[in-house]
Amino acid sequence: MKEVSDNLKTETKGQVLSFSQIRRWPEFGVIIAFIILLTIFSIFSSKFLTLRNITGILTIVSELGIMAIGIAFLMIAGEFDLSVSSVYALSGFLFVTLANKFNSPLAFIITLALAAFIGFCNGIITLRSRIPSFIATLGMMLFLRGTLLAVTGGESVSYKADAIMPSLLTRYIGYGFRPSHIWFLALTLIFSMVLTNTRYGNWVFATGGNKEVARAMGVNVNKVKIINFMLSSLMASLSGCIVISRFNLANASFGTGMELEAIASAVIGGTFLTGGYGTIIGVFFGAFLMGMMRTGLVMMGAPAYWYQAFVGAILIIAATINLKLRRLEM
Amino acid sequence: MQKITPLVKMVDIEKNFGAVQALKKVNVEVQPGEILGLLGDNGAGKSTLIKILAGVFPPDAGEIFFEGKQVNFLSPKDARASGIETVHQALSLVNVMSISRNFFLGREPTKKIGPVNLLDRKKMDEECKKAVTGLGVRVRSPHEFVSILSGGERQAISIGRAMHFKVKLLILDEPLTALSVRETKEVLRQVEKAKESGVSVIFITHNVYHVYPVAERFVMLDKGIKIGEVYKKDASPEDIIEIIATGKMPQELKS
Ligand SMILES: Nc1ncnc2c1ncn2[C@@H]1O[C@H](COP(=O)(O)OP(=O)(O)OP(=O)(O)O)[C@@H](O)[C@H]1O
Ligand SMILES: [Mg+2]
Repeated sequence: MKEVSDNLKTETKGQVLSFSQIRRWPEFGVIIAFIILLTIFSIFSSKFLTLRNITGILTIVSELGIMAIGIAFLMIAGEFDLSVSSVYALSGFLFVTLANKFNSPLAFIITLALAAFIGFCNGIITLRSRIPSFIATLGMMLFLRGTLLAVTGGESVSYKADAIMPSLLTRYIGYGFRPSHIWFLALTLIFSMVLTNTRYGNWVFATGGNKEVARAMGVNVNKVKIINFMLSSLMASLSGCIVISRFNLANASFGTGMELEAIASAVIGGTFLTGGYGTIIGVFFGAFLMGMMRTGLVMMGAPAYWYQAFVGAILIIAATINLKLRRLEM
Repeated sequence: MQKITPLVKMVDIEKNFGAVQALKKVNVEVQPGEILGLLGDNGAGKSTLIKILAGVFPPDAGEIFFEGKQVNFLSPKDARASGIETVHQALSLVNVMSISRNFFLGREPTKKIGPVNLLDRKKMDEECKKAVTGLGVRVRSPHEFVSILSGGERQAISIGRAMHFKVKLLILDEPLTALSVRETKEVLRQVEKAKESGVSVIFITHNVYHVYPVAERFVMLDKGIKIGEVYKKDASPEDIIEIIATGKMPQELKS
């Protein structure tokens, strides 16, 4: 393998991207897929490339993407979080209830604090019990969702409070754009910067890549993991508050299954399921791909069910490509 | 003999892994500026002993003094902060990370841009390249992933890293496995250079002939017990091999 990549490199030196560069550019695949799908959808549906449709897609993508960034950041540190969809629903519900009682900024802060606490618990449970986070957070997901359904009895609550947080989070700001689009973009850039250009980012990669080595080199791997569990939960919570502010309605069954969409976005974006590797820009495009498929398929006249089938197929392809890339590294 | 405070003093160290008694009341001292050869067969407990010193795990019993003060390292971070740098037998590099990111792991240089501290990636790449090339290893680029390097190249990078940072004690756990003759020479030269600059070194190996030219004292372990301790002036390499093979010190060497 090494000779092959060496040869490729010398042959193409200075002209095109060398194989070794592409190999270490995990956004590559998802951006290609993004362009292909964009082309197909624009050809088959004349309305696809309209400002209205694009902003509509952006709205869905932002809500999913914010959650996906948090998950990906945690996955790179080598852990999973399946409880995000439940945190999302719980946060929406709590936010509406508290805002109706007090005011929306306070409700927002309390909601985020609770989400951070749930993330902290996920981390502690995973590290203390030594069960895989996949199982620990599956438990948390079922526990939270079940509790929420039981407490609310499946009833919805509508938002009847002030407009402060909804305006900051998601109310139209013109031409179909919403603040959530800006949040998504800003968070993508911030997380990307932290991951690639800070000491903490280096510790996240190392923790996911090889936790024993990271520890031997003086990285506090447990702290890194717990912080990332908390961030994952916080991002899911933010996403929940945004959605609820858009619908003005909270229901305990919101976001069921969304954790898998978020993980799919991360994997399609080049994040390794095994940890240690991934990019936030990749996740950005991964989430975009998902949102685009959702509206694009409908606009092409396909029944909405096809969305899931497509996501499934693309997920398998993406995960396979990731694994191949990883083999090349070995 | 002389009354200088040893840099490291490990007293009655014990460590069990389940039923395996990896260390039984082991006492080891390292003097300032000394190269100590730590020898013994497979499973003798050499790695376990230095992992305790490096803070990887705590001992079950015993005390550790560093520069005369009792220490209790809770993590490798503590040991590193005190000036103990270790090249572990297996735990040294993250495969899916670049060479320069590995090189500075846990000690990344930063530069302030506005209100935030960002990685100084240029400095990381340059210093890493310089340090590794200094050991006689040609790395194509500090951005290469560790996973595509050969065993010898990886070893050289871990050693280059340990030597790069100013430390008081350098622990090398079988540093010469997988190294070429040229790289072996270079590492031994670097070890002596480190010693000249006042650094103490614990050098673990199976091969007495590797460490004999550079070390001035040897400690032998067998099945978790310290079976002997000799100065170079008192024993030939063959004497040391004899001690390891028989598991006991000959009468004339005991003092
Ligand atoms: N983490 C661990 N868990 C269980 N047993 C262990 C562990 N680490 C070491 N041991 C056991 O402790 C004993 C000493 O191991 P150690 O690695 O210290 O030997 P060593 O002298 O370094 O050997 P080698 O020359 O092969 O590296 C061995 O019997 C080993 O199986
Ligand atoms: Mg060993």
